[in-house]
Amino acid sequence: MINIKVKCFSQVKYALGANEINLHLENGSTTLDVEKIIREKSNGKLDSVSLRIAVNQQYQAEETELKDGDEVAFIPPVQGG
Amino acid sequence: MVIVEIVNGPIEPFLSNDDRNKDGAELIFNGRVRDIEHGHKIVALEYEQYEGMAEVELTTLAAETRENFSINDLFCKHRMGKVDIGETSLHVSIWSKHRKEAIEAMDWFIFELKKRVPIWKWAIHPDGTKVPSECAH
Repeated sequence: MINIKVKCFSQVKYALGANEINLHLENGSTTLDVEKIIREKSNGKLDSVSLRIAVNQQYQAEETELKDGDEVAFIPPVQGG
Repeated sequence: MVIVEIVNGPIEPFLSNDDRNKDGAELIFNGRVRDIEHGHKIVALEYEQYEGMAEVELTTLAAETRENFSINDLFCKHRMGKVDIGETSLHVSIWSKHRKEAIEAMDWFIFELKKRVPIWKWAIHPDGTKVPSECAH
């Protein structure tokens, strides 16, 4: 099993009501597995929100296998400026 | 040279000086908070960042801009936390030999900032409620 931390921002934070969530996952779990969990927890509030994924503060272009201690962020459309 | 700062209080503009002998253009952009968002009055915006990643992405973007355009220097400050109506949330100064390069670089830099730097806005309404901004321009 592995433990990961999910950082929540903007619409993800609003939908889940949390700044971060700790998850206990099976070995071999991927970013896609975590995205499914996050979307399920949101009860549909994130259905229309596109999410980019960062692992340990780096954008991931493809599904990525997670390691124990990884920090994952689902990044809704950014709005700087 | 590039300088990037993410700050929590009011933005102090970068200083102009008169000893930039190679720069024929100095372009300054200030992004300010409007009082209306999607047709609704707001009293302020609150900026949120992915701490660490936001500064890294902004610094990388500033360096890329300097590589991709013929500019000499790009300095940028982005504010976090509550920013009242009319106040500056983003301040960018670019120096270049000619104006065209600076204008093109500024447009590209801000366009890319709004695509990839993990910073978000929360709209604060007159009744005190706070919701993620829908504005993505």
